[in-house]
Amino acid sequence: MSVWIDILLATLSVALAVRCLTAPTLAQCVFLFFAFGLTLALAWARLGAVDVAIAEAAIGAGFLGVLLIDALRDFAPAKEATVEDAEGYAAGGSAAEGSAAGVPLRAGRAALPLLPLAIAAVVFVLLTAEAVLNVRDGGGLTELAQENLARSGVDHPVTAVLLNYRSYDTWLEVGVVLIALLAIFAVGNGGTFARRDHVTHDPVLEPVSRILAPVLFLIGGFLLFLGKYEPGGAFQAAVLWGAMGILLYLAGWPVMTCLPRVWWQVLLTAGFGVFMLLGLAFMSGGGAWFEYPLAHAGNLILLIETLAALSIAAALTAIFAFFHEMHAPDATETPEK
Amino acid sequence: MNAMETYQIYLTASAVLFTTGLAGVFMARHFFRRIVATKIMGAGVFLSLVSFAERDALEFADPVPHAMVITGIVVAVSAAAFALALARRIHQLTGEHDFTTDS
Repeated sequence: MSVWIDILLATLSVALAVRCLTAPTLAQCVFLFFAFGLTLALAWARLGAVDVAIAEAAIGAGFLGVLLIDALRDFAPAKEATVEDAEGYAAGGSAAEGSAAGVPLRAGRAALPLLPLAIAAVVFVLLTAEAVLNVRDGGGLTELAQENLARSGVDHPVTAVLLNYRSYDTWLEVGVVLIALLAIFAVGNGGTFARRDHVTHDPVLEPVSRILAPVLFLIGGFLLFLGKYEPGGAFQAAVLWGAMGILLYLAGWPVMTCLPRVWWQVLLTAGFGVFMLLGLAFMSGGGAWFEYPLAHAGNLILLIETLAALSIAAALTAIFAFFHEMHAPDATETPEK
Repeated sequence: MNAMETYQIYLTASAVLFTTGLAGVFMARHFFRRIVATKIMGAGVFLSLVSFAERDALEFADPVPHAMVITGIVVAVSAAAFALALARRIHQLTGEHDFTTDS
């Protein structure tokens, strides 16, 4: 019985991925991508990876989906239609705005090289069968992780791996988020945000943000603390706090300008910086890089997680706000090619 | 039906997802679709890692691939956000949404 659930989920995720890539409009592509991400989250929950499921649903589908939707404003649907025309979707000029014309005639697809595709498909099926059926039993690192759990300062194995055994990865990951933010600032026009001194009274978003923002903050903090015992932790908390920031920003609160620039810089680098300083401190104390003293491991991990979550949340909010303001009003008048 | 274990089902799906994404990267023209296609490829890789974690489960599933995947998701999303920023900037400056026209 349960096997059928897995087969259904696996089939659904593949089908959604295919539909997502062949969707006639970009908007459909984004929403199918949302659905794909959530299906994948279910699959991961089935595989016993609840942490991964939360992270995927929140960051992979949620945050990226929001960025994609925001990008839709630039890649307007009318322009997409002209491109699809060239690609062989036989959409008439007037069909661009008609949603009923969503059934593309895939005349161009018939020109695909069928023989190479068929050979590739056969090779792929054989390789997959070989890989799935005859993969060697490596045993994995489960045993090792379980043995050392008592010495890690936390009770949840995934958190132990993330913040104790392999804290190096996590440290650099916080750095990657920071670099991504800087790179996005560099690509766009500067890193400044328009000052919004007063709240715009959006009749829906404003009351919703008043109710949801504290709830999001509390659930984020709860997940952060829960990471010690159960699925949860810094990234999941960071995304919830980032969602809070994005919601407040969209509701018109002056999120990006309420703090002086220096404070934002401190907030953004706190996770990476403190993590690194702690690592250096342990090294100067004679230990290895990120070798926590046994007695304080739990508290140190909680401290690092809190700062990392704050930094990542700030970075996510800043990335979204920057994306949002990237859409210049005159961008719609870009020259047609 | 018990001949096939749970991890094998998802492992097969992960291979198909990776290939689907790869095909999408090559066949799609629009920046936007290519970014989504690379995300689907990445999802395939993550799914295979988590499948192996489930195979090696004792009391709990192997936590090391789980941690790698959580890290990977955040890094992949950061990279995708950067790619999206680049695509939007190119579009704003030139009005292009693909690489079909040589300059």
